[in-house]
Amino acid sequence: MAGLKTIIVLSFILAIGFLLVILSSALFKNYLTLLVVATYVIAPIPNWICGKAQNQDDFMDSGTSSIVELGRFMTGFLVVMGVALPAVFAHCDLIRIEAMVMSIIGGLLIYGTIISFTMFFHEQEEF
Amino acid sequence: MESSDRLFRFPKPQWMNSANTRSGGVYVAGALFSIALFVLIDAATFSKSHLNGSDFHMNFVDWIPGIFSALGMLVINSIDKSRLSADNFSYSGDGVAWKARVVLFMGFAAMAGGLAGAVTVMVLKYVVPEASWPALWFGVANVVANAMVMLSSVVLWVSQNMEDDYTYNLAL
Repeated sequence: MAGLKTIIVLSFILAIGFLLVILSSALFKNYLTLLVVATYVIAPIPNWICGKAQNQDDFMDSGTSSIVELGRFMTGFLVVMGVALPAVFAHCDLIRIEAMVMSIIGGLLIYGTIISFTMFFHEQEEF
Repeated sequence: MESSDRLFRFPKPQWMNSANTRSGGVYVAGALFSIALFVLIDAATFSKSHLNGSDFHMNFVDWIPGIFSALGMLVINSIDKSRLSADNFSYSGDGVAWKARVVLFMGFAAMAGGLAGAVTVMVLKYVVPEASWPALWFGVANVVANAMVMLSSVVLWVSQNMEDDYTYNLAL
């Protein structure tokens, strides 16, 4: 598989994302935007935990069980939280608009990298 | 089976039954709930920040409608939907559907009460004392947040009912 190129590109994107977020906080001496990174790192965890919980209990059930849907709900919640948090900070003048833009873009890059990585590894597991 | 007992003229589009749409609906519901919560948090933070020069402030009263809406959403979506028609089958216990309907009614009442309470808070606390725009946002945010919770609940309900159709199609 074209694995190596993908890994290199994804790590570059991850580094750019972290660069943007750290720059957005360090440039303005205001470290609230680092919460975006924490949010996006937490975001895939509910899906993962609930997926494990489903595997244990009812793998005979063909439909999706409700605990998986709870995990999806919380993931959607956390993803939007990563965008909404800087917007709230900027609207209430806790951080500046430039910092908001940089941290949102950086956070989306970080989350996109995490998602691409998990999809990539899932594909590898299946085949 | 497809055409005989159909009620509406137009068939349900095929993509509504796919598993991807269903899980996407759940994600969208979570996103809408997040927007609702952060609209409320934004209003509260703005009320405390130095940008708010007015005498209007958010306090616990502004949070009560949101709490009721979220509680109603929790109640509605934790009911097992298949229990609603449980009385049609003889083997289910007595009055399960009736109990489910009572609990569901309480959930809907809490959610509608939340939305109505948001409008009440906006009118009584901000519109009648003639708050100007940055302070009026506290009231508007309340209504927007409660409407978002309601929308999120609707999306979650629809995608959960989609699940039933999907498993039904799988079983047959």
